Amino acid sequence: MTMLRPLPCALAALLCHANCRADDPVIQRILVEGARASQLGVADSANAGTVNQNQLEMRTVYRPGELLEATPGLVVSQHSGEGKANQFYLRGFNLDHGTDLRTTVDDMPVNQRSHAHGQGWTDLNFLIPELAARLDYKKGPYSAQEGDFASAGSAAVTYANRLTKNVATVSVGQNGYARTAIAASPDLGRGTLLYALELVHNDGPFTHPDDYSKVNGVLRYSEGYANNGFSISAMAYRAKWNSTDQIPERAVDAGTLGRYDAVDPSDGGASRRLSLSGVWRRTATDSASKVNVYIIRNQLELFSNFTYFLDDPVNGDQFSQPDRRVTSGVNASHTWHLHPAGLENDLVVGTQLQNDNIFNGLYSTRDRQVLSVTRADHVVETSLGLFVENHTRWSDTFRTVAGLRADDYRFDVRSTLPENSGRSNARLASPSLNLIFGPWALTDFYLNFGDGFHSNDARGTVTTVDPKSGQPVGTVPGLVRSHGMELGVRTEIVPKLQTSLSLYRLDFDSELTFAGDAGTTEAGRPSRRYGVEFSNYYKPLKWLSVDADLAFARARSRDDDPVGNYIPGAVEGVGQLALTVDQLGAWSGALRLRYFGPRPLIEDNSVRSKASLTLNGRIGYRFSRDLQVELEAFNLSNRRDSAIDYYYASQLQGESAPHMDIHFHPLEARSLRLTLVKNW
Amino acid sequence: MARTRFTIALAAALVFSSTAPQAHQFHAGITDIGFNQKTGSTEIVHTYMTHDVEALLGELYQRQFDLSRPEDEAILRKYVEKQFFILGPDQRRLPIHWVGLEVNVDSVTIYQEIEDTPLSQAARIHQDVLSDFIADQANTINIKQGGAIRTLSFDHKSADQNLR
Repeated sequence: MTMLRPLPCALAALLCHANCRADDPVIQRILVEGARASQLGVADSANAGTVNQNQLEMRTVYRPGELLEATPGLVVSQHSGEGKANQFYLRGFNLDHGTDLRTTVDDMPVNQRSHAHGQGWTDLNFLIPELAARLDYKKGPYSAQEGDFASAGSAAVTYANRLTKNVATVSVGQNGYARTAIAASPDLGRGTLLYALELVHNDGPFTHPDDYSKVNGVLRYSEGYANNGFSISAMAYRAKWNSTDQIPERAVDAGTLGRYDAVDPSDGGASRRLSLSGVWRRTATDSASKVNVYIIRNQLELFSNFTYFLDDPVNGDQFSQPDRRVTSGVNASHTWHLHPAGLENDLVVGTQLQNDNIFNGLYSTRDRQVLSVTRADHVVETSLGLFVENHTRWSDTFRTVAGLRADDYRFDVRSTLPENSGRSNARLASPSLNLIFGPWALTDFYLNFGDGFHSNDARGTVTTVDPKSGQPVGTVPGLVRSHGMELGVRTEIVPKLQTSLSLYRLDFDSELTFAGDAGTTEAGRPSRRYGVEFSNYYKPLKWLSVDADLAFARARSRDDDPVGNYIPGAVEGVGQLALTVDQLGAWSGALRLRYFGPRPLIEDNSVRSKASLTLNGRIGYRFSRDLQVELEAFNLSNRRDSAIDYYYASQLQGESAPHMDIHFHPLEARSLRLTLVKNW
Repeated sequence: MARTRFTIALAAALVFSSTAPQAHQFHAGITDIGFNQKTGSTEIVHTYMTHDVEALLGELYQRQFDLSRPEDEAILRKYVEKQFFILGPDQRRLPIHWVGLEVNVDSVTIYQEIEDTPLSQAARIHQDVLSDFIADQANTINIKQGGAIRTLSFDHKSADQNLR
């Protein structure tokens, strides 16, 4: 087509100062060659990044929480029944069920604080992958805008207001797997109605099937653009399951227990989540505002038995940790784009107000029947966070992000024991500073400093008597500070290769550790971590991309204790190598190798877990523009590795004494899932 | 002549904007419309800033776009066809055919044509591409008719203009 041309060059020249507009820091460049969006000039650290919808779709995920593994260095695992919150590992942490990893879905916090089973409980089973438009991740406590639990990192999932294509999907798989989902976004009035419904069943490879069944739905009405409009969303999720908790290695070695057997087949749970939320945003040339409000009702019934017959040789050690809560909150921020002395400057101020009204407890049970109440609590936890963050571009090759955050927490606990009831509060100020140099030769350099924190369980801040033993215990502080620093580089100097390298140090005043016998997390010793992360994304061809990520961390307790300074469960080495083929005619596919390195299981490092290696893959074939079939394969090499290992004492029925032993949850055996995807 | 003047003005603007740190980013789009005598069709070429298009699509769908993918191009096409159209004398939309697009780091160029239709059939233009999204988006349409070039300016408040 020959014709008069416009002025592309003139327009192009206009863009020579095109910086990331601070009114929309999350928006990335269009992918000119189909590559992952460049973070040069955009990200404030070498470790931050964004994963787009296409890349999320190309991943093989056994469970929805694994979508977060798109974050380099993050491992998502499971030690129990499928409906339970996942186990997370990142930056030298065993994050248990989500401590120190702040997760949000559409700005709603997912971490549940002062949770019956584990601080920061992050149950992502309500996530519907078809709606996930993007995942933004950051690591380290370098942003004033992130609050509680964000010291190791934060992951923000954004649901789309409208879908580029409606989707209906049906999957069947081995081990009782079946899933169907529908998601569509028709126009309604002046806006768009997004709806999605998901039904899932999964047994897993276990002798006593998980019989995990879930119903999950989303309804959203939105008007306008995301940055100039509003949305109102309702979400509902419910699930029930049986759990095969971790089992003792000695029984498997002796042949008395099969690899996929359960010790207590009555373990399991049920979960419900309902939420109503709204987002309003207004973006003008010189300012931007955002307000989001939410109210979330979470209910969990959870029956676990990790020590079998250690405490109660007659009834067994099963315990229940029910948790019912209503979480409500408001997040609001305002950004001014200022131009003092010709500089580009964005000033962001914001507030995060959150209230949790919680009823939870710890009960001794047998076959899910309550035998006694160890403790039952009514917790009201209220927090207010205020932050200010200033982004300044001092020159074409130097910019800074400086922030200050203040948090105030109030805890009000009414427990079955008056000695464990009371009120407490805690305050903390968290400064942060990021220096970004570059780009020179498509290379940015970063220096990041920041303080972060996590909150402790409200019950721990007022508990003076162990409700089980009756022994006096000390209270723990409400908030625990972390200090991080990081040196990073990100480069695209090699064509088609995006590389980043981070060296970091992260100190915690007190580590949250998992207490296997109580089934809870406890405030523990001070710690220090050093780590290095090396991430690569190479897209040599339009249809081929390669991800290669390596992370190594050294984690130690900082105090002197003769038991040793290793941190049980702290992950050391993590790696992934993924090949993704897309748009190769009608074919697409992916192959992903995940290495989850050995961990110390005890403070003196005398017992260590083995590494686990997972190879997952998928092949897709597109019959037409709107119809595709996919075959997914999990644990392709059928390795008999552990998904997780613990080391503690347990006693099986018939054993005369407790045994210190490794307890493991097996990686699921090789399984296949076939999916038909219809778009319209 | 008008086009030459416009070019000079634009060049002056860009020199200014690229030597001084901008107070505001400049948001502009240019559409050239002309009749191709060889094919007998009216041809339309839009040029927008990539940054603006990426922000637009990102804020519509909350995700990144890869316009080399046909399905992502279709999304932009749907938007452009809703925001840009030409009415004939009977106030009906002329059938504008999507030819394709080119993307580079700085600009997105979109090609459309109205097959077997002379420009004289166009009575009214609706141009609200990006101006519904960016308050200060300025869209310029250059209409080449005979030897002359006529320039029209559009923004969100004046998204409809008569050609006659």
